Amino acid sequence: MIQLFHVHKEYPGDGPALTDVTLEVEKGEFVFLTGPSGAGKSTLLRLIFCAEPATSGQLLLFGKNVAKIRAAAIPQVRRNIGFVFQDFKLLPDRTVAENVALPLEVRGLPDRDVKRKVKMLLRSVGLEHRADKFPPSLSGGEQQRVAVVRALAPDPALLLADEPTGNLDPDRTLEVMELLHGANARGTTVVVATHDRTLLERYKRRTVALERGRVASDGAEIRRAAGAP
Amino acid sequence: MTFRPRYFLRRAADAMRRGPYVTAVGTGTIFVAVFVTGLFAGALGGAERLLAAWAGEVHLSVYLAPGADLEAARAAAARIAPGREVDAIPAVVALRRLAEGLGDDARLLDGVGPDALPDSVEVLAPGLSLAQARALAARLRQVPGAADVDFGNAWLEKLETFVARARAAAVVLLGALALATALLVSNTLRLAVFARRDEIEIMKLVGATDGFVGAPFLLEGLAQGLLGSSLAVLVLLAAHAAVAPRLRAAVKLAEGLRLADTLPWPLLGSLLAAGAAIGLLASALAILRFLKQRPSL
Repeated sequence: MIQLFHVHKEYPGDGPALTDVTLEVEKGEFVFLTGPSGAGKSTLLRLIFCAEPATSGQLLLFGKNVAKIRAAAIPQVRRNIGFVFQDFKLLPDRTVAENVALPLEVRGLPDRDVKRKVKMLLRSVGLEHRADKFPPSLSGGEQQRVAVVRALAPDPALLLADEPTGNLDPDRTLEVMELLHGANARGTTVVVATHDRTLLERYKRRTVALERGRVASDGAEIRRAAGAP
Repeated sequence: MTFRPRYFLRRAADAMRRGPYVTAVGTGTIFVAVFVTGLFAGALGGAERLLAAWAGEVHLSVYLAPGADLEAARAAAARIAPGREVDAIPAVVALRRLAEGLGDDARLLDGVGPDALPDSVEVLAPGLSLAQARALAARLRQVPGAADVDFGNAWLEKLETFVARARAAAVVLLGALALATALLVSNTLRLAVFARRDEIEIMKLVGATDGFVGAPFLLEGLAQGLLGSSLAVLVLLAAHAAVAPRLRAAVKLAEGLRLADTLPWPLLGSLLAAGAAIGLLASALAILRFLKQRPSL
């Protein structure tokens, strides 16, 4: 699903954000990316999302070399990826239903199908009664659930989440994590960047730790080294 | 790009409703540009119509120097303008006509001698253009004893010169006006695009193509252009309705002036199309510049 080979990313005027990152995420995996602020978690997600190119090295996404994807084809690639942000990135002047409908509209689904799917998705997360509300009137937990539902609406093959629970209290954090796990159970590959150690301890999933732009440890390698299946 | 005209129209209408200031400025700018263009084109059309109308009434007067042979002059004029009506007008007849023209004020001429006005030869030559009339007048100056030739040309020549220069300037000026308007509206729309940068970013995050993001903006520009130019056309029609009767009352030549002479339908259609094109161009410039500056979205 995702393969990085000696990926290096440097911003002009800054030090390297990622150094020699080699990593593989298989289809259907659930992976935590962890590390302190500035470790390179968000940069790595942005590279996977094709928001910016790697300075050197190779990144394969769905088996394709990202560096060789034409700019005009990037939207097509992104339609297989859902992205959840810490700050939700909901449109404040559109209703909850309209926000969730956005990726479906972009894909050209007929209005009737969009409405039906949005209704179903909101019902699945207990927000059907909030469909006509505007995001600022929702709690943080509700907004993040809307953001997750929006990201999952088109059934993406890959879901990236950048500190999705960073602004939430423990109860709301659990709700959002359950949504992510549910998506993973239905076959979506999930990569979650977080520095919340309680999440890592609660959900024993593969954890890739980044430090100063380098992979400090990779749960998959550790498990493999220990002979785990 | 996924082509969803109803969705794009709805988004464009939403944007215009949510940003009435931008809509008003864009529409107003296009209105002014189209109105000025239409006014200019209408005035040119009217002036050309007046020049053409004048061709039906060419009336040249050859004024003779004192002592000139009036009959010889008439004969010479008839040779110069064959087939035209040529009359010899003695000074006494000219004075009588003047007195008749003055009506009750004819007493102003009391004490004026019969030689106050010169003998003259009048040539009626309907159907000539201004250039042809000017050439005939030059030939009539060869009439023996001719002191001056007049065909009421002073204001017409000024009008002709103005129309010729205006026509030449029109292409350059209106081209510059269209470009300036497009840039002005484009900058206004850029503010609108910038104000909606979060929306654009999120749309791109969920896989929208540049075309999908840009289509509502293009429709918004098109709508502003059509709205502005439609208003301009309506105001031009109203201006014509208000001015034409007064012009007809003031200038005899303007009696035949119709809407089709000043604001013909092809011109009005072109103005509508030009307004729409300016709006479309302006919005395309605005959204393309924004997307170019934010390639990493």
